[in-house]
This record gives sequence, structure tokens and C-alpha cells, in this order.
Amino acid sequence: MHRRTFLPALAALLGALFPLARAEANAAAPLQVVTSTTDLYDIARAVGGNRITATHIGEGYQDPHFIEAKPSFVLQLRKADVWAFVGLDLEIGWMPLLLDGARNPRIRPGGSGYLDVSRAVPVLDQAQGNVDRSQGDVHPLGNPHYWLDPENGRRIARLFQQKFAQLDPQGAGTYAANEKAFEAKLDAAERSWAPALAQIKGKPVVAWHTSWRYFAEFNGMNIVGFMEPKPGVPPSPSHLAGLIATMRRTGAKVIVMEPFYDRKTADLVASRVGGKVLVLPTSVGGVKGLNDYVALLSHDVRQLATAIQ
Amino acid sequence: MRLTFVALALTLYGGVAAAQQRDTVPKRDSVAKARADSAAAADSAFFAQQLERGGARSDSGAANPAPAARGAAGPTNPRLLPDLSAVGDLIGDLSPDGSTQEDGNRFGVREVELAVQAAVDPYFRGDLFLGLSDVEGIAIEQAYLTSTSLPWGLEVRLGRFLMPTGKQNTTHRHDLHTIEYPYVLQRFLGEEGLKGTGVWASKIFAPFGFYQELQLTAVDRFGEAPEGLSASEAPNKRLSGLGYSARLRNYFDISQSANVEISASAVTGMREQPLDVPLPGDGANAVNARQTVLGADLTYRWRPLQRGLYKSLIVQGELLHQFNEQMPAVVQGGGGEAAYAGPTRGFSGAYAFGRYQLRQRLFLGGRYDWLQDPEAAGSTFQAASTYLEFFPSEFSKLVAGYEHDFAPDGSPDTDRILLQAAFALGPHKPHPF
Repeated sequence: MHRRTFLPALAALLGALFPLARAEANAAAPLQVVTSTTDLYDIARAVGGNRITATHIGEGYQDPHFIEAKPSFVLQLRKADVWAFVGLDLEIGWMPLLLDGARNPRIRPGGSGYLDVSRAVPVLDQAQGNVDRSQGDVHPLGNPHYWLDPENGRRIARLFQQKFAQLDPQGAGTYAANEKAFEAKLDAAERSWAPALAQIKGKPVVAWHTSWRYFAEFNGMNIVGFMEPKPGVPPSPSHLAGLIATMRRTGAKVIVMEPFYDRKTADLVASRVGGKVLVLPTSVGGVKGLNDYVALLSHDVRQLATAIQ
Repeated sequence: MRLTFVALALTLYGGVAAAQQRDTVPKRDSVAKARADSAAAADSAFFAQQLERGGARSDSGAANPAPAARGAAGPTNPRLLPDLSAVGDLIGDLSPDGSTQEDGNRFGVREVELAVQAAVDPYFRGDLFLGLSDVEGIAIEQAYLTSTSLPWGLEVRLGRFLMPTGKQNTTHRHDLHTIEYPYVLQRFLGEEGLKGTGVWASKIFAPFGFYQELQLTAVDRFGEAPEGLSASEAPNKRLSGLGYSARLRNYFDISQSANVEISASAVTGMREQPLDVPLPGDGANAVNARQTVLGADLTYRWRPLQRGLYKSLIVQGELLHQFNEQMPAVVQGGGGEAAYAGPTRGFSGAYAFGRYQLRQRLFLGGRYDWLQDPEAAGSTFQAASTYLEFFPSEFSKLVAGYEHDFAPDGSPDTDRILLQAAFALGPHKPHPF
């Protein structure tokens, strides 16, 4: 065979064989799923079961806004089939570096495994009018802490079911069954929370950050003020003075805060109104032993009800 | 201390501020309505999808009718605009013996950087950085195309970029933890860092279970052309005269909170070195000689995950050695000869740097520089400096620095007092880890 015809023929043969080989490999290997947070990780595991291997970047006791883009995360991402992230700019400070570093076209924007989970949930606090950084660490697309509403937990699970089934059609039945089991577990837990939710509903509280907006929408607690004067901005004395006045006026006695903020200032404010500080995890793993999404919500609901009594 | 201050301020402030408090919480009714509207819209979208699919019903029953609602629908950048951002880098120099800045100003705008960044197409990303300064006017600081779809962990970059030589060289000057590059980098690589125009290729791999990256470049020349020096032929006339560099990064997680990077770099190329008098004929006052810089660097980082907003530590050091080609004492050319006046030996330099986070927005740093200064015939120069950095937010920083320079030749030591304010506008992309 002439060299001139041999090379194109070889290229065509390799081109034809390569997708087949890849499809074979994909059929045998579990989907590799990497998530930005432990909450997405746990729901992905619940839906994916043993047909996926899942890892996460952030830890539950870590502020998800400020995660370091460590090269070891690049190794996690470079072979991922799915990159699932909270979105709404929660990961804007570190995700671009990791996606660039991973050099994995599947998980880049537009890739089959690029999964912006926020696209599946109704979003609170979408910016109206002009937005700039004088308003603090604003998220113009909306508040990204949506996973603390169990209804959104269900939406996330359904999104994972669809995505996994799309990438692994042979597992569609398994994913559907797992998703249904996840929802059943969440439904049962939610029914058991009814007495606690009745205690919480309408009660005034103060929160540190806007992380609790969705949680409040779900359980009916009334957030009368935030420790942060603006999202991401540490409290100033003048703001705290106003907040104390608001707490006295509304009767708020509980300050709900995330485990990664310094509680000294919250303790000081609570002491001025005879209240208490309640440190609640916002994510799976935020407290030792809280290793799944349903347990996280159960813990937070019950702790809040007890504190608010 | 801070808590005491807050408590005192609260006492003074009393209740009078209550009326001034901005309403940080939207009215619950309106929020509830907004949420209901949003959820309804999202659920309606899903319902419509289901109808289109033939009336499939959610398994979750009537209480949970929205299996996959869509939230932030629609593109967030429908006009496909690139990210535009700007950085202002302002410098103050209150040194007791006069300004130590290049332009002699006490206060100045050291540089404004404009950046335009976006995906070009499915295969490339584009990054343009323009630098504006009173001294240099407008300059193309960086302009490169980066591949985004190569297999096997490969990445190729074409254009002008900060060379991957040493740890700090790939960080823009305004984003350094200190106000200026360490002296060894300024002398061996350039005051504003070593840039090159050419091709960059890198590959990540992990055969031993930790992150490794090999970065190779081939660029038009090693460093900028020195002002006032001209050789008989361009340093890059032969391909061997181009600038070439290699860097191997090795990154290890010691724990969830601590990690270390140990890397080695090399860069080589032909550079113009001075002659004592111009050669007759072509008037060249320089001759091309090979210069090679080898370096090793170590960076240790500690940041406890749960307290990461408030505590962190970086310890970093780099050691570099510059090799200079042994040139004959007399250089011939153009029908005449001239004495070689360039470096005849190698030089070493190093720095050690540490920065500790005192509070959420306050950092204290220090650096020690040691250098066999090529610009002072290899005399040993040392400097010790300390910095206090305050970050009002991620997008602004205020730095105050004090530096004591130990004079190499017995002349009086000098002190420098430097101030910096830097700010970023727009979606400035985070810098590499």
C-alpha cells in the first residue's frame, strides 16, 4: 500500500475504533462524580448508588465561598464524568481555576458533565436593579444556599437522576429507584419534624449570613436581622447596636450561625438581650456524625426548635 | 481586643442607632410571595415539560409535584461579552532618604492593568492584559491563547505570558503578598517579572499519587532586550538562542489543612552583554552570551478548614543561581575588537518569606532577601522587610511595609517605607494557587 493511502486509512481506522473503545470503557466503569459541596455529594451518592463513585471538594465545616483551589482537587476533576456545583456564583472564587487546571472538556461549560445544580431550583433573592460590590458579597443571580430547603433537596435528587441516566442509560432504572427511595426517606423525616416545625413557625431569630434564607422559608422562622450588615461584611459596632435594638423590639432570642464564623461577637450580642447563640451546620459533615443530607436537616430542625422554645 | 472594642462601642452607641439600622431583611410577605412566584414559575415549567412528554406524573405524589423545576433560567451572558476587569496599583514611598521609586515620585500610580478574558471557541480561551503606567505608557503585559480541549492532561498556550520560572514570577505584581518582587527575581528575571512570547506546553500527571506538572516554554528571547545594548546579530538568530524554560511542580497535601509545593525551574537563552567600547564597523556595543538560571522553590501553606476565614500561614522560599557563559576577555568583530564587560562569574540569590493571618482581614508578613548582586559585581546585598496587609474585601488591599537594606560595600544602610493600595474592578479572575 502506498504511504499516501496508508496513513489516511490508519487514521480513519483509529478514529473509528477510538469511540468504540471509549464507549466500552464507559460502560464498564462507574460514573465519576465530583461535587463542590458535601450536600450535593451525599444526594449524588443516594441517587447514584454503586453505579457512581463520588467525591467532593469542600468540607461541611468549611465556608463554601472560600475554598482554596488546591492542585490535588485538579487531580480529582481531571477524570470526572460529572462536575456538580451549587452555582449562583457560590464557587466563583475558586471553580474557574480548578476547571481550567483539570483540562477535562467533559466538565467545562457546555460539556456533558457540567452540572449547574441551581438551574433546577427556584431561587430566592435574585438581584433587582443595579448591583455592585458596594452591596457586599452579593450574588446577582440569587441566594445560593438553597439546599437547606428539603423541597430543593428533592429537586437536586431528580436532577442527578436525569443527568446520571443521560450519561449512563443502562442505569436509568437504578437511578430512578434510588431517587424514589431518597424522597421516601426525606418524606418520612419531614413528617417526623411536624411538632418541631410547629414550634419554630413565626418565631423571630437573627442569622449571621444569608445561608439561612431557604431554611427559614421552609420552616417558617422569622429572620429579623443578620449579624452581617451586608453579605460577607463583618459586623460593625453601629450595626450590632441596631441589631440589638431590633432583637429587643421583636423578642428575638436566638442567633443562628454557621460553624465557620467566629462566635465571640454573636455571644456578645446574645448576652445583651438575654439570648443564646445556636451554631448549626449548613452542610453534611458540618458536625461530626452528620453524614447524610436527611440527618443534617433533622438535626438543624430539632436543634432550632429546642433553642427557640 | 477587638471584642472589647466592639463591646465598648456598643455601650457608647446604646440604643440610638436602632432607628438608623438599615433593614437587612426583606419583608417576609414579599419574600414569601417572590418565592411562591419563583417556585410556581419553576414548577409550571416542569409541568409543561411533563405535558410535552405525554403527561408523565411525578412519583413523589401530589404533595411534591415538582421533580425538576428550573430556577435561574436563561443565559447569564446572552451577548457573549468577555469578562472585563481592571486593577489599580497605587504606591506611596515615605522613605527617609527620598523616594526609591523608579520615577522618583512619593506617590504614584505604579500600574493600571486592564484584562479581557473569555472563551474564544470550543478549543481555546483568550486572555489579554494591558499594562498602563506613567513610566512605560501602554504595554501588552500578557496576551495568550490557551487550549481547552487537548487530551491526556495537556495544555498549550500561545502568546505572551509570565514565564513559569520560580514560584512568584507567575503572580502579577499587584497581587503579590509583598509590594515588590523579591530582589533575586528582580535582578535575575526582571523588575516586573520575566515574560516571554512564544509557546507554553504543560502536562499534569500523578504517577506517585500526588500532583505533578511539567511546564515547558520556548520564547522569542530570554528577558527583555537591555536598553542601550545592541549586538552584531539578534540573540534569537539561531534557534538555540531562543529562551527556553522548564519547571516541574510537585504538590503534596500534608493534611486537609496543610500542603507543600516543592518545585524546580530552569530558564536559558542568549542575552546581550556589554562591551567596553563599540566594535568598529557595525557599532555593536554588546555580544550575545548564554545565560542560564536554575532555581528551586518551596511553599508551605497552612489554613485550618473550619477557621480558614481567620487563620492562615504561608512560608515560602526560593533559591536561584545564575550561570553566565565564560566569554573571552577580548571580543573580535567588525574588523576590530573590544573588551568584554559583562558578567564573568555566576551569581546566587534567595529569599524567605512568611505571612501569618492575624484576623479575618489583617495579615502580617516578613521577608529576608539575600543576593549576590550582578549589578554590583556580585557584592552581597541583604534586605529585611515586614508588611502589614489589610483587606477590606477580596477586591481591595492596603499594605504598609518597612524595609531595611544592608549596604554591600560598607556604605550606610538604607531604610524604605512603602505603602500600597490595590483594587480590582469587575470579575477579575482568581490567580493560580
